[in-house]
Amino acid sequence: MSQSPTPSMPSLATQSLGMSYGTRQVIDGLDITLPSGQVTAIVGPNGCGKSTLLAGLARLHKPDSGAVLLDGADIQRLPTRQLATQLALLPQEAVAPEGLTVTELIRFGRQPHQGWLRQWSAEDQRVVQHALAAAGLEQLADRPIDALSGGQRQRAWIAMTIAQQTPLLLLDEPTSALDLGHQIEVFELVKHLAHHGRTVVMVLHDLASACRYADHLIAMREGQIIAAGAPATVVTPDLVRTLYQVECTLLTDPDTGSPLLANVRRSPAPA
Amino acid sequence: MTVPRFATPNVRRATPRTLMLLLLTALVAVSLVSLLIGAGSVGPGRALALLSGAQDSEARFIVWELRAPRTLIGIVVGMALGVAGALLQAVARNPLAEPGLLGVSAGAAFAVALALVLGASAATLRISVAQLGALVGCVCVLSVARFRGVGNDPVRLVLAGAAFSGLLASLTSLILLYDQRAADEIRFWVIGSLAGRRLDDLLAVLPSMLVASVMVALIARPLAALALGERVASGLGHHPNLIRWLVIACVALLVGAATAIAGPIAFVGLVVPFVARAFAGPDIRRTLWFCLPIGPLIVLAADIISRVVVAPSELPLGVLTALCGAPVLIAVVRARRLPML
Amino acid sequence: MPFSPEDQFRADGNNNVPPPQGYWRFAWRSGNGANSLLFEQRAVVVNLGLFGALLLASVIYLSLGSVKVAPTAVLQALFGNADIMASFVVQELRLPRLAAAASTGAAFALAGILMQTLARNRLATPGIIGIDNGATAFAVASIVGLGVSIAPPAMALAGATTAAVLTFGLAAGNGTQGYRFIVAGIGVGAVFGAITQLMLARVAIDTANAAYPWTVGSLSARPSGALQLLMLGLVLGLATAMALARSLTLLRFKDATASGLGVNVKRRRLEVLLLSVALTGLAVAVAGPVGMVGLIGPEIARSLASSRSVPVLAATLAGALVMVLADLAGRTLLAPIEIPVGIVTAVVGGPWLLWILMRPQRSFT
Repeated sequence: MSQSPTPSMPSLATQSLGMSYGTRQVIDGLDITLPSGQVTAIVGPNGCGKSTLLAGLARLHKPDSGAVLLDGADIQRLPTRQLATQLALLPQEAVAPEGLTVTELIRFGRQPHQGWLRQWSAEDQRVVQHALAAAGLEQLADRPIDALSGGQRQRAWIAMTIAQQTPLLLLDEPTSALDLGHQIEVFELVKHLAHHGRTVVMVLHDLASACRYADHLIAMREGQIIAAGAPATVVTPDLVRTLYQVECTLLTDPDTGSPLLANVRRSPAPA
Repeated sequence: MTVPRFATPNVRRATPRTLMLLLLTALVAVSLVSLLIGAGSVGPGRALALLSGAQDSEARFIVWELRAPRTLIGIVVGMALGVAGALLQAVARNPLAEPGLLGVSAGAAFAVALALVLGASAATLRISVAQLGALVGCVCVLSVARFRGVGNDPVRLVLAGAAFSGLLASLTSLILLYDQRAADEIRFWVIGSLAGRRLDDLLAVLPSMLVASVMVALIARPLAALALGERVASGLGHHPNLIRWLVIACVALLVGAATAIAGPIAFVGLVVPFVARAFAGPDIRRTLWFCLPIGPLIVLAADIISRVVVAPSELPLGVLTALCGAPVLIAVVRARRLPML
Repeated sequence: MPFSPEDQFRADGNNNVPPPQGYWRFAWRSGNGANSLLFEQRAVVVNLGLFGALLLASVIYLSLGSVKVAPTAVLQALFGNADIMASFVVQELRLPRLAAAASTGAAFALAGILMQTLARNRLATPGIIGIDNGATAFAVASIVGLGVSIAPPAMALAGATTAAVLTFGLAAGNGTQGYRFIVAGIGVGAVFGAITQLMLARVAIDTANAAYPWTVGSLSARPSGALQLLMLGLVLGLATAMALARSLTLLRFKDATASGLGVNVKRRRLEVLLLSVALTGLAVAVAGPVGMVGLIGPEIARSLASSRSVPVLAATLAGALVMVLADLAGRTLLAPIEIPVGIVTAVVGGPWLLWILMRPQRSFT
């Protein structure tokens, strides 16, 4: 893992972004900037617009108003392929065609860099090997994806996005169907990627893991940002109450210094 | 408890009695039109004059010897196909289960073609052979449906049925291609039409229709219980497997008989219960009652149109039922929530 | 870590690397840098094998029939030094029909695998979702002459497009995945089938007999000119499909994944749909609705090829092979009666379709 730091770190931001789902306006006039080289977690209750925001950042949905800016340029104007060399996306519950092996899946990550007359370069070879190693999948390289455990499968998908060699990585609930051990596997891999110069943005519905693994937290409710910043500074009992209508006591993790939620209970009565 | 609403249009909740009365009136009216209108030279005016007592031997022959049996056959075929559709949908718990789509009619047609090639004569054996073919077709499709959960997905069952009936139709064409005599004998039957059928054909199938009616009357109640699920039905003291087999036998009798007279006609068994459920709600017993007037209404209306649109020749009935049935199929599939009956 | 292709390119000093397992790699340098091509070994073997089988089947096709011509005589006749009788039978009677069989089979199968990839469903072939029937209805309309006298291929194309618009339009909102889309297509197909019957019922028996092959799929009445158009379309279509092969492979993933890897999903899907519809229309104009080949060809190709990519070429070759064999069977099994090729493929394809349906859900990609 002797990767040199990224020469240029593109920045991703939104400018009065408005998006709707069908006829329903989900987010409106959103301005955010995603800190480079850090792990950003977007949290909020169900239906708060966090997945819609991620879809907008990845250009899966077209905004009604405003824009998503990559290095100051509207991503709607970028060719799909060029965007794919800047920004990788792991959708929720990604499914691979039957029978595909881990290496074969990872190789797909090289597609944005390949062409008709450049189907397999030395660089491709090197990057795929690196991605296998980074995700700790060398032993499983020739296994079919269907035969992996949930955590291994998710790591294989992340390895594909590593092979894409993009400075930006967007993950939609990467741990939603995983048990605790597998969740940790995935989060540690994500953390590792950020330390090696990637900007990671993930949507999470678990506030506790967001506190533990994110450098930057964006809390959303009803399409609005209600707090943004380092978890240790923005997560307060008030914030938790506003987000989820629950009361809690906040402790500090003695090992990592990140906030810990304790004694979570229902609010006595709605305000 | 909320009763699940099916993919059917909502009809204003008039009392069932009023609705039934309206439907019966409509049926009488359509039957009358069926006597009055035809492809030949006897127009509505002459036919009406005959009915009010005029002496007109040509008109008498055409109205009483040709159109009246045809109308009666239309009524019986409509009832049989409509009820069979409702029964099949209830037992497959699938709003798309339709004898024509699932290959039951194709099974009957194939059996008749096969019997002819093997040397049977069309007139004598057709009904029982058709019923046997329908039974085999029915059992085949429903066992596919119970196999590995194909039947749990209503839409997948239809696909299996379409594949099955397509296969049988091809085999039937193959047989007819191979045996010219059989082809000549049933050429006009295999298309599906009410034209040129005689009262004798109707009399021949009446016994099995009566048997089927008695069976339907007996199984309607347990079938309604089966709609709540197999376990509930057992808990209420019914025997789900026995009911299922009785229903299959019933469907085979009805579809076999209808196919023996009129040839394979698709989509009637889909459209009729679809409309009947709109009137009757989800209760299978009431739905079955409503199928009785609605089935003949639809078949007769289609038959009248088939005589008129391409006069002086006639259109196969199946073409018209497909034209009105396919949109219903699409509507059911498009419904946001595809119900399990 | 270099992020742009240019950076990575400069870093690439050595153009000699081992290919991924199971591939052959050819590399060379040119003015614009290091070039490389990858060929999947298994795909190469499968395609060569299918091509060989197609050649063999073609020779048998040319030799069997009411007049038997020995295989050696077939080859002589093809290269112009056989007796007049053999030359006439082979070159004038059987060769055009063989060409029609092979190109319609290839076109149906190519259209089939494109549509399946688009819908991510093995059952979504143009024949099953009603596009064949739409093309047939329009072609029959032009033949029985309901005041329309445009050539059958043009009408078949228009019909295929109409049916595709209807099916996709009616399924909109439910997406193109899953079985509802397919049943909507079955409904559309039933309507067009009924319309075809309606038109045939309206015309005199002679015209109806002329149009009959159209309803079952047959190679015995081939409209002049349609075959040349189909062959042209097939060559262009196959070239386009193979050029798109890399992004077709990505279309098998979810839209979000494909889009994340740099495929303009909407545009690509539209291109694939247009290609599939056009091929179907052109093939129907020659042979009528021989729907099952669009299912069988891709099935054979997938069972032979690996799951790494979409076997476009293998499916095309397999479709041609199936159609040639089916028409050979139709011509010879019940001779002198000729079984329309559509009936042969339906009898073979029906059980196959049922078998696919009864297999567990997971394998529906």
